Amino acid sequence: MTAPMVKIDALSKRFQSGGGLFAKPRTMMAVREVTLSIGKGEVLGVVGESGCGKSTLARLVLRLIEPTSGRVTIDGTDITALSAGALRRIRRRMAMVFQDPYSSLDPRYSLADVLAEPLRLQGEVIAPARVDEMLASVGLPAALAASHPHQLSGGQRQRVGIARALALKPDFVVLDEPTASLDVSIQAQIIALLADLRDRLGLTYLFISHDLGLVRYFCDRIVVMYLGSVVEVLPDTRTAPRHPYTRALMDSNFAPDPARRRVIEMLTGEVPSPFALPPGCAFATRCPRASDRCRRDTPALGGDAAHPVACFHPL
Amino acid sequence: MTALLKLDDISVSIGNLGLLDRISLSVGRGQVVGLVGESGSGKSLTAMAAIGLLPLIGGRVTKGTVRFDGQDMAAMTETQRRKLRGARIGFVTQNPMTALDPVQRIGEQVDVVSRLHLGLSRADARARTLDLLTRLRIPEAGAVVDAWPHQLSGGMKQRIVIAMALAGDPDLIIADEPTTALDVTVQAQIIQILGSLVRERGVALLLITHDMGVVAQVCDRVAVLYAGRLAEEGPVGPIFAAPAHPYTAALIGCIPQDGMAKGSLTGIPGAVPSAAAFPAGCRFHPRCPRASDLCRNTPPMIVHRTAGQVACHHPGEAE
Repeated sequence: MTAPMVKIDALSKRFQSGGGLFAKPRTMMAVREVTLSIGKGEVLGVVGESGCGKSTLARLVLRLIEPTSGRVTIDGTDITALSAGALRRIRRRMAMVFQDPYSSLDPRYSLADVLAEPLRLQGEVIAPARVDEMLASVGLPAALAASHPHQLSGGQRQRVGIARALALKPDFVVLDEPTASLDVSIQAQIIALLADLRDRLGLTYLFISHDLGLVRYFCDRIVVMYLGSVVEVLPDTRTAPRHPYTRALMDSNFAPDPARRRVIEMLTGEVPSPFALPPGCAFATRCPRASDRCRRDTPALGGDAAHPVACFHPL
Repeated sequence: MTALLKLDDISVSIGNLGLLDRISLSVGRGQVVGLVGESGSGKSLTAMAAIGLLPLIGGRVTKGTVRFDGQDMAAMTETQRRKLRGARIGFVTQNPMTALDPVQRIGEQVDVVSRLHLGLSRADARARTLDLLTRLRIPEAGAVVDAWPHQLSGGMKQRIVIAMALAGDPDLIIADEPTTALDVTVQAQIIQILGSLVRERGVALLLITHDMGVVAQVCDRVAVLYAGRLAEEGPVGPIFAAPAHPYTAALIGCIPQDGMAKGSLTGIPGAVPSAAAFPAGCRFHPRCPRASDLCRNTPPMIVHRTAGQVACHHPGEAE
């Protein structure tokens, strides 16, 4: 791996919910002690199901929300300690593409406004050709500059979302499920565009997704999360998983080939409530390999430094 | 196999807008037929036409016939159709979160289906519900029947919706993207359970999905729709092994697979046209790598092959 560009150090986020005159608020750890690093030019995938904390992690890494504890450093600068002004200056270097291209674009803005906004916020003068250039970089015709989001298809909107993220020429981009609300045909287009942009602009990506198949196709290394914690880091896309949860995720991906039909091993049990996690391994309630120890002690992420796994009974 | 549901050359319009054009497909008992295509290709509309629900959205069948168990749906009165839907057709919607009544216990919601349609007593209906929930691999079914919908996870709720669809002992189930709202591990389980229950009980299943992986895993036949027309239809084996229509091939190629080289996933250029702007000739031609002048000017005829049908001027070598 190249020198780390982004370092995430024991990052945690606690959320509180409910609470009132008589009710006690409940707390949950959306992200628990996550430590990761992302190399320059790397595509790091984070995969997990709803509620695993992957979107919270995405927001923490860009400090869109404040961490409860832990640090994020980008090229040596601790962004969790920066003042608002200094944070704004360093924000030029990082950007985010959101999941839903329907709600992440202001319906009253023309595309030219959408794309010029980040530049305007950073106090830059916008050369007239700049918007056309930005549209062209994501494969959209300049003629669309005057149109509004509702006139665009979902795929076109997501291209605008990407162009906006790249407006300030960042070198680190967080992609939060950028294709989850698109058709598979359009998803593939967007992934091809993201790969092309990375090669052309030398970008570093943190790619968040629920789709392990897609992550294995697109990413260099893969982080698997379950209920707020990292359970395994796959050093490349070919390495066989060692955590039973990663295995289950992989088995849930159907190959488009009727000759390779198979009976999947069912995960029994339910996902525990994040507000009331049982002691021990959070996956023990559904894990086919769970022992008494798993229900008592919490496994730490460890073992092989290149391929760490948090499991007492790895595959 | 005799078809339980048979769409024969149907076209559908809303107002003056032609949305579906000459679609033929059939579903037999114990058979799973996948209906695939991108959003806007007409999958849900085809399902609505199949069960006579088009008037709800102001649509009508302008050509062709829909037969359920040999009976022409158009020749029935609305009362007869409603009775048929209630007693013989189960429906599983995309979003289990809105399909359940939030102020009624789970057991009661499932019981009522078999009490109404099979005339079961309260006790018999409950026994049937418990049996169904157990078959759907719901742990502690005895406790779940007393739960309220908000106490269940999304995957559990979708299993309850499937139980409701099965409770009246229907002959046909239409499932419209039944797993899209669920997590991937749960999705795979639900698809597997649905597939095996359908075969075990001899129910016909029309499965609407956009996921070619799901089709390959569970369907016997697949109908690929594009912009309101049938691109290709037939048994899954030959279609996945050698798709005749370039659209089918492109949809299969959109699924990331193990060992796929980076950069090989390119997607399908462009987007599905809206019904008001269907292109002339073959509707897929603006996005098709094989498009010729013939495709730009003349819509392809549906050609019936030994096991299926395809509408393409330049089909791949499928046979």
